[in-house]
Amino acid sequence: MRRDGWLPGVLGAVTKGLLILWAVPGQGGRSLQHPTLQQVQALVRHMAEDAQELFTFYEKDQGLAIGHLCRTNRPPEWLRGPSLGTRGLRGLRGTMTHMAQALQDITRHQRDLNPPGAEILRRLASAHLKVRGLLNNLEGLYPAPSPHPTRRLPPGPTAPTKVFRQKLEGCQILWSYSRFLVKLNTLLETRRLRAHRQRQRAHQGSRMPMSS
Amino acid sequence: MMNHFMVLVVLLSLMTCSTTYSEQESFVFPVTYVNISKDLVLQQLVVEWDVGKSAHEAELAMSFEIQVYQTDVATTVWTEFLNVTLDKSGKPLHWVWDSDFPLECMSHSVRIRSRAEISNIWSQWSLWKTVLGLDTSNNHGPQIFPNEKIVEEGSDISFCCIGSEGQIVKDFFLVPTIPAFNHTNGRLGLLTVKNVTHHGSPHIMVYCQESCNETQCYDHAGFFVGKPPDTPHDFSCQTQDTRTVTCTWSPGGDTYLYGRHSPKYVLSDEFSQNPILCTVSCSEQCSCSWDIEQQKICNITLTVENPLGKKTAMDVFDVTHRIYPTAPFQLWEECTDTEITLYWKLQNIGIELFCQTEVLQPNGKVEVHNSSAGHLSYGSVTLRGLQPYTEYKARVHCGAAQDFWRWSEWSEAQTIRTKEAAPSGTLDIWREIKPGLGGRNVTLFWKQGPKFQANGKIISYEVTWTKVEDASEPESISLSSVCNSTRIFIDSHSYRISIMAKNNVNYSLPSVLIIPTGPEGDHSGSELEEERVNGTDDGIFFSWEPRHIYDSYIIDWCNVPALQPCDFQWKRFGANTSSALISSAAFVPGVRYNFHVYGSVANTATLLEKKTGYFKELPPLFDPVVENIELTFNAVTLYWDSYPTNESQPGFLRGYHVYISPLQEDCSLKGSKKHVLPDNSVLCKYSIDNPEEKRYTVKHLLSNTKYRLVVKAYTGGGENPIVNFRYIDTPFNLNILYLLLLLVIVPALAAAICLWKIKWVQECCCPVIPHPNKSRVLSFKEFNIGSEKVLKISDCIPDMLAVDSKAEAQKLHPQSPLSSTSTAEKTDGHSSSWIYAKENEERDFTPTPTPQTHTWFANFAYSSHLAVDSDSYQIPETLEASKPKLSVALYQPHYYDIFNEDAASTPRETCGRKASLKYISQTPVHCLGRRL
Repeated sequence: MRRDGWLPGVLGAVTKGLLILWAVPGQGGRSLQHPTLQQVQALVRHMAEDAQELFTFYEKDQGLAIGHLCRTNRPPEWLRGPSLGTRGLRGLRGTMTHMAQALQDITRHQRDLNPPGAEILRRLASAHLKVRGLLNNLEGLYPAPSPHPTRRLPPGPTAPTKVFRQKLEGCQILWSYSRFLVKLNTLLETRRLRAHRQRQRAHQGSRMPMSS
Repeated sequence: MMNHFMVLVVLLSLMTCSTTYSEQESFVFPVTYVNISKDLVLQQLVVEWDVGKSAHEAELAMSFEIQVYQTDVATTVWTEFLNVTLDKSGKPLHWVWDSDFPLECMSHSVRIRSRAEISNIWSQWSLWKTVLGLDTSNNHGPQIFPNEKIVEEGSDISFCCIGSEGQIVKDFFLVPTIPAFNHTNGRLGLLTVKNVTHHGSPHIMVYCQESCNETQCYDHAGFFVGKPPDTPHDFSCQTQDTRTVTCTWSPGGDTYLYGRHSPKYVLSDEFSQNPILCTVSCSEQCSCSWDIEQQKICNITLTVENPLGKKTAMDVFDVTHRIYPTAPFQLWEECTDTEITLYWKLQNIGIELFCQTEVLQPNGKVEVHNSSAGHLSYGSVTLRGLQPYTEYKARVHCGAAQDFWRWSEWSEAQTIRTKEAAPSGTLDIWREIKPGLGGRNVTLFWKQGPKFQANGKIISYEVTWTKVEDASEPESISLSSVCNSTRIFIDSHSYRISIMAKNNVNYSLPSVLIIPTGPEGDHSGSELEEERVNGTDDGIFFSWEPRHIYDSYIIDWCNVPALQPCDFQWKRFGANTSSALISSAAFVPGVRYNFHVYGSVANTATLLEKKTGYFKELPPLFDPVVENIELTFNAVTLYWDSYPTNESQPGFLRGYHVYISPLQEDCSLKGSKKHVLPDNSVLCKYSIDNPEEKRYTVKHLLSNTKYRLVVKAYTGGGENPIVNFRYIDTPFNLNILYLLLLLVIVPALAAAICLWKIKWVQECCCPVIPHPNKSRVLSFKEFNIGSEKVLKISDCIPDMLAVDSKAEAQKLHPQSPLSSTSTAEKTDGHSSSWIYAKENEERDFTPTPTPQTHTWFANFAYSSHLAVDSDSYQIPETLEASKPKLSVALYQPHYYDIFNEDAASTPRETCGRKASLKYISQTPVHCLGRRL
């Protein structure tokens, strides 16, 4: 039996696992400690890839890959951006809180459509865990002053709506989410490179008098 | 008159008809009004109508024909006849029509007509009453109907898409793609899926697109395909304590409907005052428990429902008949050496219980013991007939003694060991006797045979020995439980030896051996011959001669003969046994095992036979060492050292094989067998079946040839592969040289001498003028003149004449009609006949025999009365070739045959023929009788 691509797939999964172990504090039996910015960046990079895969799978699995129905240019308010302004990554917490809630709602809808243990449910649960992981990292990185750092959103509407509408909304949220993470990752990467260049320049500047 | 009558008949008939019709018409009650509405949730048309009040008053039985008409397709889609008996209440009539097609999709019209049962006349149709579809509305963007419908697998479903006013439906399809009938007509699209099946996707999407490209030009809908729930399987209820009832069931097959559409199970009890608060959504094994308090009879209904259907299962039962007790717990025991009393606790539920105890014995057998626990909160059972100091495993389960329903779960298994008892049976003992200084060393062995039961932990073995002849004080030693042998020294007297095992309770019965009087061991000095025995796949089998005086036989041997101690073994056989298959895991191929067969009577054993054999014979470990090789030009004799045949060999030596072959070619010597090596070269193989043989001669070799050879010993296990050869060169055969010498040199020498003494030889052997007296011609006694013999010509019967062709001869016969030339020709002719015959031989040509008789005489003296024939076989060339020879052969004898029988005979044949006349004259001229 041919197993083309099996080894790269396994290697990729192992790499991702190791990355998560490193990126999410407290994973892998390590003691809880404050995450570093690099860890957050790594996790965002991984989540961006994961969100793209989730969207692609969802769009096809739900029969929505027609006429770019899901690929909306009007994302929900809380998924617009990202902007790393004066608040930096702090502003990400609100987005991720909304996203965690949205993923729970999508999962609930999908439970009406799929048997327990279906692939889409597994992927949604995995994405939800990563969002919770990023939220934890952000809490560790920027401890909130208030005793309730993350504002719990009220659960989504449970009244049954049209199944198609729910599917489409879920799909559009996942599309916007994947776009959001791609942009965020690009921003963080640009920032990291700029900081790296500045450090190099500063380092070279401090060495110049010595060499002359 | 007739015309008047006819007119009267017609009038009467018309009057009758008119009266009848008017009577019937008075029973027609047309529909007074029709009202129609649609229930979009249920997809039903609700029709209401009425007939005249008088019909109600008369409580008429009426029939109504109702037609449903779809406006857009201009088809009557339904016709139904309805029989109704009116009542006096005067309420309007209702009829509901379930539409398979979404009522939103198009307008539907209904009309009705009536007929009283007492009349055969239908009323007029009512006017069409119409409910409009959405296809007449001015909606924005396309709309699909129905949406979110749940469809049973195997059924049909129809969709419509109503486009905006002025638009047309461009695309109307399903995702995933499944076969469907698609029809589009302007702003209305119709899609029908027949026999819809579950396609692995829980939710099938329907897309509709108008002829524009904006987002609102799309509409989407979806539907679920599923199955109604199966009736729950194995639904049953039981109780462990008569207060709480638990019902269990299996849900059945997948309905393909999940989440809020998945099957919901509801339990209800008809006899209960309180509802059962139990709504279960389960996937595999379902159960529900609730408190029934004092209720004794239950009538439980399990209902399972999903959007496609509902199924029920029922269970009516008396609670006391559904007792499923809790498993017994806290087991403990009391035991003796042969009995165990096992106790356990039970949950007291006020019902008599019956319990079963399962006992697992050490041999793997399972015994079940029944016991009654009554109404007590504990139970017990006594297990008897057990083995002392033996481990048993026991577990218990219980069920209701009356109205048994089900066994409880098993309790935890309890492992119990019975107490010790004195050892039973006797040890199996044996001995090995070896001569010692002033007595004998006796090694005693013992083991726990099949008849022996230790019944506890053996703590020691007691060995006692005493002289048989006198009542001397016995000697005794005690040995640890780990021992299974000991050695004692006894003198040459007869001794009685006993061995007992001891455990914590007591001694076993003694096992007794009597060592008879004698200074020697039991093996040495015996005149018994060792018999060879053969191994089998299962062991070493042999037999012995049975003797009736013995009550048993014992065979002993060593498992590892090469070691000391040699792992001494013995085995006992009954008096009726005369063969044994000795098997042991310690037996290995290539080891010679020695067996001694003893007969035993009254505890005294006598050596009867000796056997020796291999479990499996192996080839010898090494080849015989060839010490000497004697070589002649055609034979080689090999001498090898004496080869060991003792137990060091891995098999019984059967003999030797000698292999030989020329170095450059395969061997095929006379008297040998062929043996093919793995490289396909062929050797000659000679077998020597005597292991004592130490020499062998291989004959028929070629001289001056290089040979390779090897001597291999072989056993019953065969021989080792041929690895190394010895090489020999046979010498040159001198006899051939001598023969050559003899055949060449001696004749050459003789010829040389002859050449050297040619004159003398010529004189001696072939004188020019032979001495008459030496000629055989004159060896007759007919006539003597003086000292000379005279031959009468009449007595001479010449057979062959030689002609001297010298000129002198010609001179003697000047008038001869046969000139010398003609004679020579004839001679040539005859001579050519010889040549011809010779050529026949050489060419393998068989001439046709010629019956002619031709006798040739070159001598004219005889030619007068002899017919002369020409030779028809003369070959001109041959004749030509022969002429010069004649001219030079001036004085050479010529041979003339008288062929009387076969003219084609060769000269050699003629010479060999005794019957033919032949005269060969050395001097034919003399033979002509010149002196006569």
